[in-house]
Amino acid sequence: MNLAVYRVILRTQLSPARLLVLAGLSGVAILLAFTARASDDTVEVATRTIANFGINIFAAFIALALGSAALGNLVEDRTLVYLWLRPVSRHSIATAAMAAVVTVVVPILVVVMTVAAVITGVGELVAATAVATALAAFAYSGIFVALGLRFKRSLLIGLGYIAIWELLMSRLGDWFARLSIRSYPMSILSDATDVSMRLADRSTLASYIVPLAVGLAGLLYTSWSLTRTEID
Amino acid sequence: MSTQAGLPPMVQAAGVSKWFGDLVAVSDVSFSIGAGVTALLGPNGAGKSTMLRMMCGLAKPSNGSVTVLGKEPRSDVAVLGRIGMAPQQESLLDHLSGQEFVELAANLHHLQRPAESARQAIQTVELDPDDPRRLSTYSKGMRQRIKLAQAIVHDPLVIALDEPLTGLDPRQRREMISLFHRLGSEGKCVIVSSHVLDEVERFGSRVLVMAQGRLAAEGDFREIRNLMDDRPLRISIRTDQPRELAIALLDRGVISGCRLEGTDGVVVDTNDAAAFRRAVAPAARDQDASLRELRPLDDDLESVFRYLVTQ
Repeated sequence: MNLAVYRVILRTQLSPARLLVLAGLSGVAILLAFTARASDDTVEVATRTIANFGINIFAAFIALALGSAALGNLVEDRTLVYLWLRPVSRHSIATAAMAAVVTVVVPILVVVMTVAAVITGVGELVAATAVATALAAFAYSGIFVALGLRFKRSLLIGLGYIAIWELLMSRLGDWFARLSIRSYPMSILSDATDVSMRLADRSTLASYIVPLAVGLAGLLYTSWSLTRTEID
Repeated sequence: MSTQAGLPPMVQAAGVSKWFGDLVAVSDVSFSIGAGVTALLGPNGAGKSTMLRMMCGLAKPSNGSVTVLGKEPRSDVAVLGRIGMAPQQESLLDHLSGQEFVELAANLHHLQRPAESARQAIQTVELDPDDPRRLSTYSKGMRQRIKLAQAIVHDPLVIALDEPLTGLDPRQRREMISLFHRLGSEGKCVIVSSHVLDEVERFGSRVLVMAQGRLAAEGDFREIRNLMDDRPLRISIRTDQPRELAIALLDRGVISGCRLEGTDGVVVDTNDAAAFRRAVAPAARDQDASLRELRPLDDDLESVFRYLVTQ
């Protein structure tokens, strides 16, 4: 990884608008946690809240916003040339971009959602939430960093992917569910609390391995894409 | 194009074409460039930027090959350490200061003292390395100069500058042109693109002219200029004695035809612009005619390049 590139991309990650959205989503997560704590079936409601909001919405959207911008903004404003013209490997640029996104997305998600899990009062959910959100954030970051480099309207395409594939198509059957990222971290939550959720029936091993593999595949695709893309 | 005697070319293009879908941006271009300043001249859309991008490895030729210092910059990342480029676009990493921006380039080129090298490069282009302002606040001229600073910070052997004088005032232009010459005289290969003929005249003697994606002419600037002067040219003259002046110019053999326009105008055709320029004032003086206006009717750069392409 190239540290200079990492620092440059990291500095672009937290714009005031994104900080505002992050604060808003964090507030909603905490509010939902209190609501779950007050419910009759706390374990089930808390698990579904962490899964449906923490993974399906918070992790996916924040990784999209930051991941697609990491290299995507440089492509869009035609400044990628200032990184690309240097004698540094394309893989190190891709790794630096991915690391910059993960450095912001994973800690924020893990901290906010783990605090939310603590607030629900469901002890067995706390560690699972930390792991599940970290894995979801890593996988989504890998996909959206690659998407940002590959497509000009990556934010829109990413929104379409989340809405159509992750939230709708994944419900059509087991085959579709296996191709949905969220089903794996959701399975970790389901295993921890024994709450049965639709899509959350992946094996324990797959629940950990697949999100990591998806994130790494996204990184490799970004590296490959950087060597082939024509820089404007 | 000739390079320094006995030395291999620093940049070589062999049968290079580049197309984007149906659009042919560069068509079968070949040339060799050595040390010194070389101007890449052509109208907007001629393929100059695409050619420079291929030289720096930013784009891959659809056909043919471009080598810099014997290496293909597209596939050989190491050779990028010997190339410096200032792209045409104004956009910069706007959240950085000038020093941070150039220091980033120095870091990525693995320089021993990046901060010091950056300061030096910024001072070379007459900017203040201690200016804490972000690049987003820079004027167009300052942006051009900071782009140049990041292109030369690592002391590259090949420097490609895409329209680097745009937005500079006349004094800054003079300074930059003198910097290009200094770099060229240090043995570096400086390639400067421009669409302004008079600007190129000051860059130096070697010129590559591109038009419609093709290499329309190459060689010494004076040869190119003569070639341009040799093309048929139509000129409108406003004078109080148009008939007499036209006859005098015909007698001198510097125009091939003429057409009177109203009571104070004549449009003449010449095949030798330089001879016409030399003859018109003495002819007017001999006829006691007062010259009010001389206006080339097809002297825009596009028409000059169109002519060169047909030669």
